[in-house]
Amino acid sequence: MYKSFVFFALIVLLTHSSSAQSFSDAMKEEINIYQKIYDAPLQVAGKPPASFKEFYSQQPFVLALVFTRCVGICSPFLVNLKETIQLQPFEKDFKIIVVSFDPWDTADEMELLARNLGLKSDPKWIFAVTDSIDQMNRSLGFDPVWDSVRMQFDHDALLVGINGDGYITKKLIGLRERNELNQLVASIHNVFSPTYRLPNPNILFSCFNYDPISGKNKPGLGLAFLALPAVMAVGVLLIVSMSVRKRKIL
Amino acid sequence: MESIKIKKITSVWIITVLVLFVASIVLGILMRLNQGGALNQAPINFYSNMTIHGLTMIGIWFVAGMAGINFLMERYVKTSYKANLTAFILTVIGVVMLWVITLVGKFHVAWTFLYPMPFKIMWAKWATPAFLVAMSILSIGWLIWSISMMTQILKKYSIAQAFAWQHFTKDPSVKTPPFILISMITLVGVITCLFVAVVLMALYFAEFLSKGSFVNDALLMKNLTYFFGHTIANEMLYLGLAVLYELFAEVGGKAKWQTSWYVALAWNFTLIFILTAFFHHLYMDFVQPEGFQIIGQLASYMASLPAAAVTVFSVWVAVYRTKIKWSLTNLLFFIGVAGWVIGGFGAVIDATISNNVVLHNTLWVPAHFHSYNVMGNVLFSLAFFYWFSIQFTEKVVNERLSKLVLSLLIIGGAGFLLAFYLGGADSIPRRYSNYPAEFTSAKPLALVGAAFATVYLIPILILFVTITKRCIKVLFSSR
Repeated sequence: MYKSFVFFALIVLLTHSSSAQSFSDAMKEEINIYQKIYDAPLQVAGKPPASFKEFYSQQPFVLALVFTRCVGICSPFLVNLKETIQLQPFEKDFKIIVVSFDPWDTADEMELLARNLGLKSDPKWIFAVTDSIDQMNRSLGFDPVWDSVRMQFDHDALLVGINGDGYITKKLIGLRERNELNQLVASIHNVFSPTYRLPNPNILFSCFNYDPISGKNKPGLGLAFLALPAVMAVGVLLIVSMSVRKRKIL
Repeated sequence: MESIKIKKITSVWIITVLVLFVASIVLGILMRLNQGGALNQAPINFYSNMTIHGLTMIGIWFVAGMAGINFLMERYVKTSYKANLTAFILTVIGVVMLWVITLVGKFHVAWTFLYPMPFKIMWAKWATPAFLVAMSILSIGWLIWSISMMTQILKKYSIAQAFAWQHFTKDPSVKTPPFILISMITLVGVITCLFVAVVLMALYFAEFLSKGSFVNDALLMKNLTYFFGHTIANEMLYLGLAVLYELFAEVGGKAKWQTSWYVALAWNFTLIFILTAFFHHLYMDFVQPEGFQIIGQLASYMASLPAAAVTVFSVWVAVYRTKIKWSLTNLLFFIGVAGWVIGGFGAVIDATISNNVVLHNTLWVPAHFHSYNVMGNVLFSLAFFYWFSIQFTEKVVNERLSKLVLSLLIIGGAGFLLAFYLGGADSIPRRYSNYPAEFTSAKPLALVGAAFATVYLIPILILFVTITKRCIKVLFSSR
């Protein structure tokens, strides 16, 4: 009970801090989009060496970046991801590769992390380390900072979608909802996800207004602006015609 | 017949257009050389050049068409010199401002200035409001000129006669000259799209001045931008066609073309469809309802087919197995029709939704619009310029020079366009200042394009010198 409470409090705290930084996170999620991931060599415990290319050329994957000594976001981040995926399986298949960005981590430690999460025997999940952390991070636009006082990395909880050609299709920072994960998974399968602008009181002349509750796009006042110039032109034509005829008669 | 003032102002328009045309071609060649790797411009310079190249080309060939129809309209109705002069002064102010804004202020949003780019300031801060002011000045100047010419037509012809509706009946009592019909149809289209520009500028100013309390809808702004941009780019072509309908037979020593029911019908349809064809620019905008996308595709077909079919048929009948007096003027018209049709096919291919998925924003787009401009509309206006220049000066024509001009125009134009078409077919994206190595054919094609564009520039320079010399004579003559 006590553990659950602490876990819940932690989630609320992290989600809150995530939303407080939503602008910068939104911008960060755009960094290196549609760039290719660095083809870093990967080591999975008990498996022959491989690389990102060998994985994405078989199947698109979602990449999660953590480190085993992490006392902050890493565990809730992975637990949340695991539960979201297990609760309702996705239509299209993909792998989840969890890679450590801590040079101290070993393949065995990552295997231990998989076991603790109950994911060691799940073929969907791969836990790996790489000796090319800097190149990998640079290609992902991921920038963890080592805090020597806390002996921890200051980092984002980053989830990266990689499609079958090795391109970064979408990035999510923080603990995110199922529908956002759906978009991530759709993106790695090269499926387009439409997004709509939410109502904004400063936008007076929208062509269409999206109603997030009904999911419908209703015609707006802006459409009238498309017809207005043609109406004005016809008006000018009629006014000019009438005025020149009037002068003729006079 | 034509007043001295109109002759002089037309000469000034022609000289101005030709000077800006040569300068803009040079900018275009520099862009292709940069894309080919022969130059190493900073991206900001490339995009500034691209912006002013596009803005100038659209502007000059629009005013060239307007100056042409204004001059020829004097044959039918009295036009307003004041409106013509006002348009010229405002055009010069607007164009000078745009050149300063792009080349000094480094404003570089492309000629389409798609919202919200003008507000994402990566250039001199003054450039954005100055750009909005310059565009407003141009829109107002051209609107005054267009409404003035429309008014003069309506003084002589009723609305029904100006649109040639009486030709749908047997034996119409009043015959509308094709020139008046096409000018009227085009002027209404021009006035509509200039009103669009006014609305667009008003919305831009509202957001700029509100400091965040008023925000525009990106979809509305994109619709309005292409309503203006696509429509004016097509209407300026129709201005050139009005000149062709007036002069082609006359220069060839044949009887003037008459309006028939199918000519009237085709051009009336063109007015309706050209105003809705711009929807094809928004195929990638999923928020736009599917119905609009279908209207965009159908209108693109319907806008190009009637006018093109009737014009090609008319030109073909005029030359097929007929003795015709060929000169540089009607040869430029003839080649221009071919270029217009080729570009039109390219446009229709791109406007087909299933093709657009592949061709969208590739070099196919500049391929087709350069086709009906470089080898279409530009040739129509050059034909008029040349014809105008020999009306009031010595008519001695150097035939060998004419042949050289035509040969180089065709070789240079065709090669330049082919490099674009091949790039488009190879899915090379447009608007890249530098191509990454993955696009293997992009750089060689850009260099080929630059080389052929230089060949095209040679006859343009020859025409520039010969026409300008004659226009200067007209300008300083007292007759």
